[in-house]
Amino acid sequence: MPEFDLDSLKKTWQEQPVQHKYDNTEILQMLNRKSRNYVKYIFWISVVELLFFSVLGLFYFFPEEESDSFRKMLERLGAQEAPEVENNFGHAYLAIKVLSLLITAYFVLKFYQNYRRIKIEENLKGLITRIIKFKTTVNAFILISIVLLLIFTFVLVAFIFYILDSQNIQPSGSNLTIIIVGIVVSTLLAISMIWLYYRLVYGTIIKKLDKNLKQLKEIDSQEN
Amino acid sequence: MDSREKEFAQLIKDNQGLIIKVSRLYTNSLEDEEDLFQEIVLQLWRSYDSFKGNSKISTWMYRVALNTAITLFRKKSKSLPTNELDVNHRDFVEDDDEKQQQVSLLYTVIKTLPNVERAIVMMYLDDLPYKDIAENLGITEVNARVKMNRLKKTLKEQMEKYA
Repeated sequence: MPEFDLDSLKKTWQEQPVQHKYDNTEILQMLNRKSRNYVKYIFWISVVELLFFSVLGLFYFFPEEESDSFRKMLERLGAQEAPEVENNFGHAYLAIKVLSLLITAYFVLKFYQNYRRIKIEENLKGLITRIIKFKTTVNAFILISIVLLLIFTFVLVAFIFYILDSQNIQPSGSNLTIIIVGIVVSTLLAISMIWLYYRLVYGTIIKKLDKNLKQLKEIDSQEN
Repeated sequence: MDSREKEFAQLIKDNQGLIIKVSRLYTNSLEDEEDLFQEIVLQLWRSYDSFKGNSKISTWMYRVALNTAITLFRKKSKSLPTNELDVNHRDFVEDDDEKQQQVSLLYTVIKTLPNVERAIVMMYLDDLPYKDIAENLGITEVNARVKMNRLKKTLKEQMEKYA
């Protein structure tokens, strides 16, 4: 083979014979096809996540159940009824819930706005950046939901200790240990499940996008 | 049938060579290649309104086709490793014409490059001006030119090695 010259191949490249030519009818049929793309995939998964966390937030809106379990936990530790403290707990709880709903509303709006901004005709760098930004919005929502969950757990534990302390109760070691270990283990388990889920569901997609973005950045930072 | 759809179908029919090249360079199986072709047509249709008159057909088509291939497309079959040059690949077809044979090998060599570099080479071979190559990718024109000059060297080495 003679010495290779890319420019001399341009003409042959441009005039390559098309082996299977699609006709107009086949092309029109393609317009009714369902799209199989990552953005759509991320979109629907994100919708499910938003719904899941929103429903979880709404579920906590039923104070009766929550107050009941809080009361039961206190009874188990030997505490007597303390309406005032329970009332305070109720207020703190309501504040967290309202905050959680406001945050959800804000993120649903942001999520929709960022999704609408993804345009296929944008340049490659812009498109990747927008997809990552879109996904970041959902990730931020999940992260804030976890933080709220942790704050809630912290408030719950703080109230338990406050009531026990104010009533001078020394709960039996095993009861206290069971409750504290239960709270810690379930919180850690919930967080690690969410982390694992993200690694599995988004790991590959985001890695692929990041890789392409890195290539573009490298080209733009090369020494001329 | 709506006249807009007809007009679009004709546009795709006349320019399908470009979409086929992109589909071929970003997939490793015929099934994925056909799927990618269809996904690109669908994405072009969805952005058809925004295209009208705003840029050249080839630039718009390249932009949408590459964006679809690089960021949107979900392959069905597992990707083959592309770091090893597979000269037995179907791209390397028997062809009497020496130039056609070189083009076939060129496909195989380009496929060993990272996604963004593949896009640069493809647009260069199709004679898109550097300004358009840079705009489609979101990089500067100077950097697109520098990168292409480096890629020419890489491709020359690879082609001569495997010829």
